[in-house]
Amino acid sequence: MTEATAIATAARVGRRAGVAGIVVAVVAAAIVLAVSVGAVPVPLATVWGIALDSVAPGLVTPHWTKAQANIVWEIRFPRVLLAGLVGAGLGLVGGALQAVTRNKLADPHLLGISSGGAFGAIAALMHTGLFLGLLTVPLMAFGGALAATLMVLGVARFAGATSADRLILAGVAVSFVIMAGANILIFLGDPRATHTVVFWMLGGLGLAQWPHLLWPLAILIPCAVWLVAQSGALNAISLGDETAASLGLAVPRFRLQVFVVAALVTGVMVAFSGLIGFVGLMMPHLVRLVVGGDSARVLPASAIAGGVFLIGADAVARVAMAPEDLPIGIVTGLCGGLFFIWLMARKR
Amino acid sequence: MLRLALSTLILSSTAAAAFPVTVKSCDREVTFAAPPERAISNDVNLTEMMLVLGLRDRMVGYTGISGWKTLDPVMREGVAELPELSAQYPTKEVLAGAGADFFFAGWNYGMKVGGEVTPETLEPLGIQVYELTESCIHLGPKAKSSMQDMYDDLLNLGTIFGVGDRAAALVAGYQAQLAEITAGVDRTDPPRVFVYDSGEKAPFTAGRYAMPTALIEAAGGVNIMDDLDKSWAEIGWEPVVARNPEVVVIVNYGDVTAEQKIAFLKENPAFADIDAVRNDRFVVLDYVEATPGPRNIEAVRKLARGFKAP
Repeated sequence: MTEATAIATAARVGRRAGVAGIVVAVVAAAIVLAVSVGAVPVPLATVWGIALDSVAPGLVTPHWTKAQANIVWEIRFPRVLLAGLVGAGLGLVGGALQAVTRNKLADPHLLGISSGGAFGAIAALMHTGLFLGLLTVPLMAFGGALAATLMVLGVARFAGATSADRLILAGVAVSFVIMAGANILIFLGDPRATHTVVFWMLGGLGLAQWPHLLWPLAILIPCAVWLVAQSGALNAISLGDETAASLGLAVPRFRLQVFVVAALVTGVMVAFSGLIGFVGLMMPHLVRLVVGGDSARVLPASAIAGGVFLIGADAVARVAMAPEDLPIGIVTGLCGGLFFIWLMARKR
Repeated sequence: MLRLALSTLILSSTAAAAFPVTVKSCDREVTFAAPPERAISNDVNLTEMMLVLGLRDRMVGYTGISGWKTLDPVMREGVAELPELSAQYPTKEVLAGAGADFFFAGWNYGMKVGGEVTPETLEPLGIQVYELTESCIHLGPKAKSSMQDMYDDLLNLGTIFGVGDRAAALVAGYQAQLAEITAGVDRTDPPRVFVYDSGEKAPFTAGRYAMPTALIEAAGGVNIMDDLDKSWAEIGWEPVVARNPEVVVIVNYGDVTAEQKIAFLKENPAFADIDAVRNDRFVVLDYVEATPGPRNIEAVRKLARGFKAP
C-alpha cells in the first residue's frame, strides 16, 4: 500500500466517523427535543432527571411526582422511539421500492400492503373486538398486510407481471379491491366506531408501549441489513432490467424478494402506527439531493431522515392542538407536501 | 359537630375495612385495593353519575364535554370547581398529568376500541378504569339495554368508592320514582316509537343496545328499531315509513336544534302519513337524558307523558 492510498483510506475512515457522529448527534437531538414537549408541561430538568433515573437508578435524587415519571418514561419515550422506528422503516422501504421499480412515485402504501393492513385493522376495530388483547389491532393489521402481499404476488404471477410497471399496477389493482372490502366492513359496522377507524387510518403513535417496540425493531434491523447489503443489485436494476440481467442478476426473482421484504417492514410499521403517508415517498427524494443516487447511501440516509422527520412530526402532532393529539398523517401530509413544493420550486 | 366527625370516621373506617373490592366492568373483573382519590370521568352523563353519588371531592377533573355539547346550568354548578382537562377524548398524557388513579368512561364515551386510552393502556400508569355498561356492546355480546344497566353502574361506582349505601339508597329511590311514574301506564297496546338522533339523507337512531330502547320500554312504548342489533346506527328511511311510528323521540344536541329536526320530518312529503307526524307527537330528550345517567328517570317521565293517548 502506498502512502497516498493509506492517507486516502484514513481520510475516508475519518470522514465516515464524522458522518456517523453527526447522525448520532442529530438523532439524539431529535429524541431529546421530542421527549421534552407534550400536552402536560414538564420542566426540562425533570424530564432528564427521570430519564437518567430510569436508565441508571440512584444517580439523581427523585424530585418529581409519579405522574411526571409516568408521562416521561411510560408515555413519551416509547412513543418517540416508535416514531423513529416507523419513520426509519418507511423511509428505507420507500428508497428500496423506488430503486427496484425504477418509479419515482413508488411508496410503501402503493403496493396494496397498507390497504391490507387497513383491512385487518378495520375488521378488528369494528367487528371482531379485541379478542387477542392489546395486540389485536397490530396483529390483525400485520396479518392483513401479509395476506395482501400474497395476493399481489399471486396476481403478479397470474397476470405475468414481472416487469416493474406491471408489478406496480398489480399492487394498485389489488389495493383497490382490498379497500373496497375494507369499505364494506366500515359500511356494515357501527357508525360511531367509524371515528376510530378514521383516526387509525390517519395514523398515530399513541399506542406505543415499551414491550411493543420489540416487534418493529426485530423486523426492521434484519430487513435493513439485507436491503443495504443488496444495494449493488439495486443500483444495477435501477439502470434497467437488461443491464441488471447482463450483470448476472435474476431480475424478476430479486424484485419479488425486495417486494416481500418491503411488505414485511411496512406491514409491521402500519400495524403499530396506522397509515402514515408521505414519509416513504418523500425521504428518498430528499436524501438523494444530498448523498446522490447510490443505494448504499440512499437507503441508510432515507431511514435516518425518515426517523428524525417522524419524531419531529409526532412532536408537532402532540403539541399543535394540545391537549388533543392531532392525527400524525395530517402533520406529515401538510409539512411534507408544502416542503416538497418548496423543494421543487428551488430545484427548477 | 364532634359526633358528626366521629360518625364519619366510623363510617369511613368500616368502608375502608371492606376493601379490597372487586367489580365487574364489561368483560373484566377489576379489584380496587382502596377507594380512588383522584378520579376523572368522561362525558356529561358519566360525570353526572359521579356527582349524584357525591364524589366531587374524589375527582380531579372531567373530560370530553365542551368539545361536543354545552354544559347545562345544573351541570355547570355541579362541576364548578373541577377543571375540564380535555374538551374531547383525553390522551394518556392528560390523564397521567392530572395524577389520576381512576377513569370512568365507556367505549365511544372517552375510549375507542383499539385506541390509545383503554383499560390495558392505562394500567401501567396506575389508572384503573370502570366502563359504562351500555357501552360494553362494543367489546362483545351483551343483553339488551335496560334500566338495570344504569343502576348497575351506580351500584358499582358505590362499591368502588366505598359509598355502597349511598348508591343503594339512590337506586332504590329511582326505582320508587320510576314505579310511581309508570303506575298508570297502560301496557296492553304499547305505542310504536322511533328515535331520531340526526341525519337527513339517512336517520341515525337507537337500536336494541342503546339506552333509549330501555327508556321507551320503561315508559310503556316499544322502539320500532329494537330488532336492530346495534347500539346507535344509521338506517334507511324506508323501514321508518313502513313501521309507521306513533311517536318520534328527538335527541336534542349539537348544531341542528330539535325544532329543526321536527320541521324536517314534517316538511318531507314521504313522512306525511307517519302517525307521529300526522298527529304531531314528538318528545324531545336532551343528550344527557337519552344516555345512561341519573336523568334517565326524568326522561322516562317525559316519555310516559308523551305516550299517553291524546
